[in-house]
Amino acid sequence: MRNPAELYEISVIGRLAPRWAAYFEGMTITALDDGTTVLHGPVADQSALHGLLRRLSDLGLPLVSVRPVAAGRPTDPS
Amino acid sequence: MAGPLLNYKYRLPGRRPGAVPRRRLTERAEAVTRTPLTLVSAPAGFGKTTLLAEWLAGAATDGAALAWLSLDRRDNDPVLFWTYVVTALRAAAPGVGEATLQLLAACSSMENATLAVLLNEIEALPTTVVLGLDDYHVIDTPEIHEGIEFVLEHQPAQLHLILATRADPPLPLGQLRARGSLVEVRAADLRFTTGEATRYLNDCMELELSEENVGMLTERTEGWIAALQLAALSLQGRSDAGAFIAGFAGDDRFVVDYLVEEVLARQPDAVRDFLLRTSILDSLTGPLCDAVTGRDGGRAALIALERANLFLIPLDDRRQWYRYHHLFAEVLHAHLLDERPHEVAGLHLRASAWFDAHDDTVQAVSHALAGGDAGRAADLMELAMPRMRRERREADLARWMRELPDDVLRIRPVLAVAFVGALAQGSKFETVAERLDEVEARVRCADGTWPQQPPPHLIVVDRDNYRALPAHIWMYRAALALASGDPAGTIAHAREALALAPADDPLARSAAGALAGLASWSTGDLAGAHAAYTESVAGLTSAGFLADVLGCTITLGDIRRTQGRLSAAVRTYQRGLDLAASVGGGEPLRGTADMQVGLAGVLLERNDLTGALERLTISQQFGDRNGLPQNAYRWRVAMARLREAEGDLDEALRLLDEAQRVYVGDFAPDVQPVAAVRARLRIRRAELTQAQEWAGERQLNSEDEAVYLREYEHLTLARLLIARHRAEPDADGIEAVLALLNRLLAAAELGGRAASVLEIRMLQAAAHDAGGTSPAALAALHDAVTLAQPEGYLRLFLDEGPPMAGLLKALRKQPTAPAYLDRLIAAGSTIASLPQRLVAPLSERELEVLRLLGGDLGGPGIARQLSVSLNTVRTHTKNIYAKLGVTSRRDAVRQARALGLIPGGQRPG
Repeated sequence: MRNPAELYEISVIGRLAPRWAAYFEGMTITALDDGTTVLHGPVADQSALHGLLRRLSDLGLPLVSVRPVAAGRPTDPS
Repeated sequence: MAGPLLNYKYRLPGRRPGAVPRRRLTERAEAVTRTPLTLVSAPAGFGKTTLLAEWLAGAATDGAALAWLSLDRRDNDPVLFWTYVVTALRAAAPGVGEATLQLLAACSSMENATLAVLLNEIEALPTTVVLGLDDYHVIDTPEIHEGIEFVLEHQPAQLHLILATRADPPLPLGQLRARGSLVEVRAADLRFTTGEATRYLNDCMELELSEENVGMLTERTEGWIAALQLAALSLQGRSDAGAFIAGFAGDDRFVVDYLVEEVLARQPDAVRDFLLRTSILDSLTGPLCDAVTGRDGGRAALIALERANLFLIPLDDRRQWYRYHHLFAEVLHAHLLDERPHEVAGLHLRASAWFDAHDDTVQAVSHALAGGDAGRAADLMELAMPRMRRERREADLARWMRELPDDVLRIRPVLAVAFVGALAQGSKFETVAERLDEVEARVRCADGTWPQQPPPHLIVVDRDNYRALPAHIWMYRAALALASGDPAGTIAHAREALALAPADDPLARSAAGALAGLASWSTGDLAGAHAAYTESVAGLTSAGFLADVLGCTITLGDIRRTQGRLSAAVRTYQRGLDLAASVGGGEPLRGTADMQVGLAGVLLERNDLTGALERLTISQQFGDRNGLPQNAYRWRVAMARLREAEGDLDEALRLLDEAQRVYVGDFAPDVQPVAAVRARLRIRRAELTQAQEWAGERQLNSEDEAVYLREYEHLTLARLLIARHRAEPDADGIEAVLALLNRLLAAAELGGRAASVLEIRMLQAAAHDAGGTSPAALAALHDAVTLAQPEGYLRLFLDEGPPMAGLLKALRKQPTAPAYLDRLIAAGSTIASLPQRLVAPLSERELEVLRLLGGDLGGPGIARQLSVSLNTVRTHTKNIYAKLGVTSRRDAVRQARALGLIPGGQRPG
């Protein structure tokens, strides 16, 4: 990973309450109308990303997509 | 250790009360005990452990031994992992894994050879063994996965492995599937069907829900069991079940989130408060909860939670320790972080203090770090380091190193050097030099001296260790030099360490001395090695580290043997035995068994086969508990050489194969590699092709430079070339051997290795003989025999077989023949009569009968002594006569004595 931290956008099935923002340190949590939730925020490196994915899977949240995004703006998940 | 450690890890999960019978899954239990590997792979809360409990209960009624291990993240150290596995197996099948535990106790790295020993031990079991590993997904150490793969490749038929995991492990599952060696249960299999949900909600939980409501719940939760359980909890005592279910089904919030909120909303404030605050704990017990919450009544609260079915799982039978169901704990934790962020650090620090007061440093450190107090974590680490390293908790130490921020470690020289020690212990030397330089630069005064007191900008908690720090820094530099194959550097650094070590720190002195000794040894400077080791032993003895003294004593004995000082070696080993015996407590010290093997080696050299067998038998009886890690292979090599001397070359080969499998290396140079011992046996068996293959693999060449570390291999190569020349004469070949031997001789003389000089002179005689230059052969042999006499070397000559026997006889015809020749030839003549016996070696039982035949007992007496029938004794006797080529008891006994099979024969000298 060249950059110190990259922004990622991770989409899971199920609407997560905003309170989970503190649990997923530094991620913003956006529940969408289609019943999915987008977590958006900086991820230090690949192993941090895998750690994050593992926590989501440990919670039983089915994964829809994972993608790096350009700084500053979450892309439209539709 | 304050935590619920160890015992709960091995506790078989009980059948859950109120669990729904699921025949479609439980009936697959039979396949589990027929298949090598069963994989239960599904996310959290899918009932994996409950299913395993059902299976195991079924397997138990079929008489299988059940071993169970619940894994957690702290188990990511191969040695620790396998120690837990073996302990779990031993709880299920007592007696298994004894030898493996012994090897593990002394290893810092995990070898497949150790697993091979374990598999052999399992193979010897009369029963089926089912080994369940729960939560295998926490394992992320490649070496552990490789170990499991090794087990799967060499799995004994009676071992069945079950892995329960949230993610598929990196094992060759495709291959296993194709071979039909894998039973799989996945999320789709585990989801509750509507029928199962009905039974659970209405029969077990007595909710009396309508078919439609059950259907809606099953659909909304997709049969996810944890969610159904939470839903059932929320529904208990509700009069408006239908409305609740409709609300739940019509909501698309994360299932667990929705349900836990429902459950929490219905708890009194005090309970809700307790749940949130204790959600920071991996495991809970009353007093710990009191410390964290700052209130009394933790134990009563836990019991009440368990009774209310609030996802609390007991970890032991006495209801001392619990943990929350994983999903429940995570949601609680999310609530805590969201609602009371300012409280979190304080909760962790209170937990840290409690664990520290209860001697569980690992938990104390991890809560200190979670509470954001890295300084406190570092203080705890520094004080715990000596114990952590003694206990070889390398995985924990590696994690500490990762987790401690650099700026915290940088100002703690004692902790930084202790971490270097842990790295060196695990042979991870990459960053060692840099770390040591950094510490040194930080502590030294501007004028280059070492300050008596730590400079004010540095933090030292462990003052005793600060004084020894300069010595330790040089000691680890010496270890680094040794590991990178730099004996001169090792010796120089070790001397520096010795000069700096405080007088009252014998451990630092001894370690430095031993390192210098090892370095001298690997260069072939045996006198230097002996001197350095002797100093180490003195230091260790005065400090009371007797087990380490014994370890060094074996090395001292080995050095004496290489110096050709057999009697001195015997005295050294004997001193070790006396020391071991003088220690009270009844248990012989570790190392006793190794001493006996050393003594057997000397007796063998002197052709006292009976004496050697006696020592090896004693060693075996001490065996597993009291040998050092290398004894397993050293014993087998010595026994193989004994069997070879007795003419049982097949058994010798089998023992050497075994020795290769149980070989474990250490810092000491491997000066007599098992593969080379095996190649010598191949030559003895006239299997030159195999010996040639070995030489090729080891890239040995008669042009090689003579270095001590390869001396044994080169002397083996010389034997191979001589044997090849005898088979297919080739003038150039023998010249090359002679040149090699000349170079080896010069090196051995320089290093004061008299045993090597003797062996080389003997081989020079053999080479000249093979090359047809008889006078040179006799001159060399004359020398060798003269050198052999003072210490009574015999085996060296006898092992060379008929050509050497012929040469010895030729030498005796010379006017100046040494008197010792008579003894050599007499010892050889009994070997010359061996061919009759070589037809088939005597079995252990036959040897026992033979020994009794040498006594006064008659046939019926012997039968009673051995607890067998008279007929069996007769059969053995008949076989013995046939193998010895005799027809009477008297002749059998005489022949056996002559062969040294039983005591009292014409022993040499």
